[in-house]
Amino acid sequence: MSKKIPVILDGDPGHDDAIAWVLAAASPMLDIKAVTSVCGNQTIEKTTYNAGRIMALTGLTVPLAMGRVKPLVADAIIAPTVHGNSGLDGPTLPEPAAEPVPQDACTLMAQILEASEEPVVLIPTGPLTNVATLLLLYPHLKHKIRHIYLMGGGIDFGNWTPAAEFNILVDPEAADVVFRSGVPITMAGLDVTEQALVFPEDFERIRALNNPVATVVAEWLDFFYGFHRSIGYPGAPVHDAVAVAALIRPEIMTMVDLYVAVELTGDYCRGATVGDKLGVLKKPANARVIMGIDRKAFVDLLAEAAAYYGTYHSGKEA
Amino acid sequence: MNKLPLLLDCDTGVDDAVAILFTKYLNTLELVAVTTVAGNVEVEHTTRNTLQVLELAQMTHVPVYMGADKPLLGETVTAHHVHGRNGLNEIELPLPKRAAETMPAWDAIYAYAKKSPGELTVVAVGPLTNLALAIAKYKELPGLLKRIVLMGGAAVGGNVTPCAEFNVYADPEAADMVFTCGAPVYMCGLDVTMRAYVTAQELDEIAALGSKQAVFARDVMQGILKFYSAYKLGGVAFHDPVTVLYADDESYFQTDQAGVRVETKGKLTRGKTVTDLYSDKQMEHNASVVTNLDRDVFLRRVFEIMAQYGA
Repeated sequence: MSKKIPVILDGDPGHDDAIAWVLAAASPMLDIKAVTSVCGNQTIEKTTYNAGRIMALTGLTVPLAMGRVKPLVADAIIAPTVHGNSGLDGPTLPEPAAEPVPQDACTLMAQILEASEEPVVLIPTGPLTNVATLLLLYPHLKHKIRHIYLMGGGIDFGNWTPAAEFNILVDPEAADVVFRSGVPITMAGLDVTEQALVFPEDFERIRALNNPVATVVAEWLDFFYGFHRSIGYPGAPVHDAVAVAALIRPEIMTMVDLYVAVELTGDYCRGATVGDKLGVLKKPANARVIMGIDRKAFVDLLAEAAAYYGTYHSGKEA
Repeated sequence: MNKLPLLLDCDTGVDDAVAILFTKYLNTLELVAVTTVAGNVEVEHTTRNTLQVLELAQMTHVPVYMGADKPLLGETVTAHHVHGRNGLNEIELPLPKRAAETMPAWDAIYAYAKKSPGELTVVAVGPLTNLALAIAKYKELPGLLKRIVLMGGAAVGGNVTPCAEFNVYADPEAADMVFTCGAPVYMCGLDVTMRAYVTAQELDEIAALGSKQAVFARDVMQGILKFYSAYKLGGVAFHDPVTVLYADDESYFQTDQAGVRVETKGKLTRGKTVTDLYSDKQMEHNASVVTNLDRDVFLRRVFEIMAQYGA
C-alpha cells in the first residue's frame, strides 16, 4: 500500500458534505489530519456542531476547528430550504465526542501545513472563506498545499442564481483569492455534480447494508432528496462527494483544464465562475474542471464506503 | 397564402447578408423594410452592404432605413476581424444604385408597427440599439408588435467573451430594454445557432445550385469558416439566417419559456444573457428561448430557399 495522502476536510455540513466525509473517512488512501467548519449551508455554530456529530458517527478523532463567523466581505447566506433548520436535518446523530479545538480553522490549517513533512491536500466543500483566509494570512505556506479539490461553481450554469452556485455565491471574494492563488485546483462544479445523482433505488442499496453509518447515509439521502424531488430532480445530487471522489477515483471522471475567474460584481452574475472554454481570454489554465462522471461508478464508490463502516463498527462496537 | 409583414434589423455582416437573401422566399413572412445598425462593422458599411445585398437579391422595392451608429451607453465594439474591412469579407458587390431613406431606423420600426398593429414581426440580428431607441421613443410600440425574434445571447456560454455573445455584448443596455419591453421576445442565441451549422462541403453544394446569389452565399460564409475551428463544429454557424428561418416556421425548433435578463454591470460577465433555464432559481418568464433544432430540416430549408434563386 502506497503512502496515505494527508488531507484537511473543510466544509459546511450539510448533507452532501456529510456524505463526502463518510467517503473520505472510509478511504484507505487518505490520512485525514483535521476537520474545519465554515459558515454556508447553516450558521457557523450549526455547521461546527454538525461536523462534530459526523465525526462521532464515523469514528473520526482528529482535531475539529471552527471557521470564521461570516464570509470575508459579504454577508452570510444560509440554505435551510435544502438542509433544514439544523443544517443536517433527518436522522438522529450521536453527540460530538470532543469539543472543537481553541484555534480557529485557518490557524489549525496553518499549524498542520507547517508541521507536515509533505504537502497537504485541502478538500473544501463549502464556501472558500477558510481557505482564502489561510492563503491571505500565511502566503509562505502556499507551497505546503499540494492541491485543492473543491466543490463549487459551475461553468455553464448556477443553482442559487441562474449564474452562480451556492458555495461561490456565499463568498465570491474568497473564491477569487483561491482561484488566483496558483495552487493546483480541481473544481467539482455543477457541470459534474448535477450528474452525480443518487437515485432512490441507490438509497435502498445503501440502507440494506444495515450498519449504523449506512443507515444514516440512506436517511440523509432521503431528506436531501426531498428538496430536490420538489424541484423536479430524479435523484439527489451529492455535490460535495464528487470533490472527494476526484481525489480517490479520478478515473471515473472527465476533466478539462480551463482558465476560471470569479465574477465579483454585477446585477445578476456575482459569484459566477467564468470558464474560458474557447480560450478567448488567452490566459493560462488555473483549474482542472470536472465536466463528467460515470454515475454508476460514483454510486458504487459511495456504497463501498458505506459498507466499510460495517466492518469498522463490528470490530469496534459489536 | 396571406403573408405577415417582416421588418429585418441588421448589421450586415456576412451572415446577415445570407439572412437577407433568405427573406425573399419565406413561407409565412413578407419583408417590408430593413433597418441597419452599427455592429459587425460601422453603420455606413452595414447600410451600404444591406443595399448591395438587396440589389443582389433583386429586392430593391424594400426600403432601407439607417439606424444607430453606436450603442446606447457602452463603448463601440466591432468585429472587423471576422467580417473583414467592408463587412462582407472583402467581397465587392456592385455599388448600390439607391440610398437609404431619410427616416431614421427607430421611427421606421414604429411606422411599420403602427401600419399593421399586432402583425409586424421584427427580426433583429445585430446589436439591439435601434429597437431600444424605438421602445424609448414610442411607449406604445411593444403593444403594437406581434413579436421580436432576435439573434443574440446564449443561455450557456458565449463567443466574444466566455459568457457573452457579440450582439448582446455590443449593446447590453439596449438588449435588456428589449427583453423587458413587454412584447413577446424570442431569443435565438448561440444555444440554437451553433447547432445550425453548415459544413464546407454543404457550402459548395449551395454554390453548385448555380445562381449568383447562391455562389455569393457560399463565398461570404466560407470566409468565416476558420473562426469556427475552436468550436469543433465541423462547419460555420448560420446565426442570422437560422433566426429568419425560425421566425418563418418554428415547427422544427425547440423553444422553452424562461426568464432572461442582461448583465450590464459585471466585470467579467457584462453582456451575458442571464437565463433561468438550468438553475433552481426561477425568474419572471419574459422570453422564449430557442434551444435546439432539427438540423436536417434546417438544411433542407436552406437548400429549398436558395434553389428558388434559379440556376
